[in-house]
Amino acid sequence: MQSEEMFLLTVVAEAILEEMLIEEIRRQGAAGYTVTDARGWGRHGKRRGNWRQGGNIKVEVVASAELCDRIAARFKEQFEADYGLLMFTVPVTLKN
Amino acid sequence: MAFDPVVLFFLLGAVAGLAKSDLKIPMAIYEALSIYLLLAIGLMGGVKLAESELLPLLLPGLAVLAVGALIPLIAFPVLLWLGRMPRADSASIAAHYGSVSVVTFSVAVALLAARGIDYEGHMVVFLVLLEIPALIIGILLARMGTPGTTRWGKTLHEVVFGKSIFLLAGGLVIGFIAGPVHIEPLEPLFFDLFKGVLALFLLEMGLVASSRIADVRQYGVFLVLFAIIMPVGSAVLGTLLGFALGLSLGGTVLLATLYASASYIAAPAAMRIAVPRANPALSIGASLGVTFPFNIFLGVPLYFWMAQTLYSLGG
Repeated sequence: MQSEEMFLLTVVAEAILEEMLIEEIRRQGAAGYTVTDARGWGRHGKRRGNWRQGGNIKVEVVASAELCDRIAARFKEQFEADYGLLMFTVPVTLKN
Repeated sequence: MAFDPVVLFFLLGAVAGLAKSDLKIPMAIYEALSIYLLLAIGLMGGVKLAESELLPLLLPGLAVLAVGALIPLIAFPVLLWLGRMPRADSASIAAHYGSVSVVTFSVAVALLAARGIDYEGHMVVFLVLLEIPALIIGILLARMGTPGTTRWGKTLHEVVFGKSIFLLAGGLVIGFIAGPVHIEPLEPLFFDLFKGVLALFLLEMGLVASSRIADVRQYGVFLVLFAIIMPVGSAVLGTLLGFALGLSLGGTVLLATLYASASYIAAPAAMRIAVPRANPALSIGASLGVTFPFNIFLGVPLYFWMAQTLYSLGG
């Protein structure tokens, strides 16, 4: 079985940003992304997820370290000041 | 004063939320209910519109839009100077109050229907049109004197193709094309069940609003007073304008309700994109936590009474 060392970038953000985040991810050339609805609590208060404005999303991208950094830097620059945004990467092994 | 039992479902939802009941309307059902309500309101207006002349509506329409645009322009300085709120918040809240609420409108429609009072179909056209100028004015007010760019493209797309305007306008066009005869097969679903669906939707609204009521304390007395006085002032404008334009009693009640209502679906989404610096908790808290319950319990009956009094005095 072939394996490839990559990074998983996870972004938790306000649901309203979904389209803008995805546009940027595609513009940066990622091979794909996964979006799931999310709820939780943080510096921007409780995000219940039962109301469109109150919901969060979790966007995941598997990419090279360099691409993950580039996407994260773009998000930081555009959205961090005004929106709820949490980003982290973990090393992953791609199995296909 | 007139009162419709459908609003008690809002109270039921609010009590469930405050008492931390496990009651939760699934997201998919909430979405379905809102799609239904938007289409039903659009269709009802479209069918009525098909029965009326369109050209004579142009001037009254412009007057309704012009006076509607005054509302955020009045609200903004009040919030900025009297309330000493930051510019972005003042502009965002002003946009919410200049924009309209479909569910508040629906409660007024239900109240009129229960009393057998007719209204002009083009009130729904106003419902669609009034949503937009206030949002643009709000964004411009927020932008004045502050550096940075606005995501205009995204914002306009959100406003025009967001589901509220899109479905309302779509229902309106379908209702207009179909007319009263061809709409008959759809009547059992969209017209007869309207009030029951509205009741279910209000239950969810009560649940959501209860989570905002808990926050109201943080907003301070000023914002709570604003959220009650502003709609009443706007309703007075609407009642006088409706009377001056020669609208029917029902039409005037709906116009007053439109002016009085504050948006909590289209406006928050548009403002979050266009004026990200504004705190959404303030604007949604005021419009959904205070103004919406005020309007459906006391406001709409009050506006009904105001219009009735004016029409009985003025002939």
